[in-house]
Amino acid sequence: MAGLQNLLIPAVLFFALGYIAKLVRSDLKFPPDMAKALSIYLLVAIGLHGGHELAKADLVIAMKSILVALGMGFFLPLAAYRILMMSAKMDRLNAAAISAHYGSVSAGTFLTAVAFLDSAQISYESYPVIMLAVMESPAIIVGLLLAAWARKQEGDQAQRESNGQNGNGHLSEILRDAFTNGSVVLLIGAMVIGAVAKPSAFDKVIPFIDEIFMGVLCLFLLEMGLEAGRRANEFKRVGGFLVGFGIGMPLLGGAVGVIAGAMLLDFSVGGTVLVAVLGASASYIAVPPAMRLAVPEANPSYYLTLALGVTFPFNVIVGIPLYQWMAERLMSA
Amino acid sequence: MKRLVPEKLLTIIADGALEAKLTKLAAKSGVSGYTVTEARGAGSTGVQSGNLDIDTNILIKIILPESRVAGLLDELERLLKKSYKFKVFVSDVAVLMPQSYERPMDEDLRL
Repeated sequence: MAGLQNLLIPAVLFFALGYIAKLVRSDLKFPPDMAKALSIYLLVAIGLHGGHELAKADLVIAMKSILVALGMGFFLPLAAYRILMMSAKMDRLNAAAISAHYGSVSAGTFLTAVAFLDSAQISYESYPVIMLAVMESPAIIVGLLLAAWARKQEGDQAQRESNGQNGNGHLSEILRDAFTNGSVVLLIGAMVIGAVAKPSAFDKVIPFIDEIFMGVLCLFLLEMGLEAGRRANEFKRVGGFLVGFGIGMPLLGGAVGVIAGAMLLDFSVGGTVLVAVLGASASYIAVPPAMRLAVPEANPSYYLTLALGVTFPFNVIVGIPLYQWMAERLMSA
Repeated sequence: MKRLVPEKLLTIIADGALEAKLTKLAAKSGVSGYTVTEARGAGSTGVQSGNLDIDTNILIKIILPESRVAGLLDELERLLKKSYKFKVFVSDVAVLMPQSYERPMDEDLRL
């Protein structure tokens, strides 16, 4: 199968290496803050690239992409919440916190999809990069609203009163943090710089954002593989239903993304795969700290294990080739 | 040992996401300052490895006069009752120049 062949790219293999290293209890470890430094580079590179391309892009399609991204960012967490509440064991606040992660996106998964498309020599539109930036935050808002509603439903009067005391300041602060999150600022900032920089000067940074990009992505995915592998022994704790959700939800989000990319936005197979990955991926950068602050009642080991331990590896290994297959099937139909 | 004056050391262990919330609260309650370090560890709720932002703990240390301890603990307890998860403990320390722990810090100072 061509799809499997395309998995034999260094970035994905390094992810597998990291995962396996943890499973065999290797002491392989990255220096502190290395992952943060690598992700800063990756966001700058993808932002500059995307911005440079988008300067030549069609404004109408760009606006449409943003609307579709907002739509997915608001709809997917609601769908996730409904699915989670089907389990009798799930409480509303944990469901709200987990849902927020699934409406937001993972830049790591997006970049892996870019590497996958590059190696398969499938071209893709640059609009999904704006969608990546747009989709970080709306799900946090939905998560906050779901949590507020859940507290009301559970009739926890004391909780409401105590939240009411510093109520609005608290909420507005979390919303501000959601929109000024470092990765959002960096990605949008790099896109603007890529769009306005004069071409002769932009050419000078191309070696920095192009030549070493895949190598840096390898290191980043090695680290993420270690992090994902470390969480494999948490599966018992989160239980079968949630692990199943961590695989089922990206399938739903990926299908929504394929339909949105191919039918609403008229993207090519490559662009559609990227939109599918945006729908399928779960955040592990912007959303977890927001949920720790906004929904302290929820158990962080649920959402971190799901986003990083289940959904991320699933998307990297199985999801991306599967979304490509779905996009091709839909387009040939 | 004559020059040493007894004070209280309040230590908080929390997830990094709570740093701004906790330090703001401390500044508001009139402490003279605080020190934050990154930390890692494990407990009944899992591992905080310190590898990524999302699983980095912080250690906040605050030296303050005993008279101010109760007020700050009340505020922290309010957060704990709202299900925020962190550990607080108070210990005895002895300091030089006690007057430097008296003057409240500027509330707007942020790391």
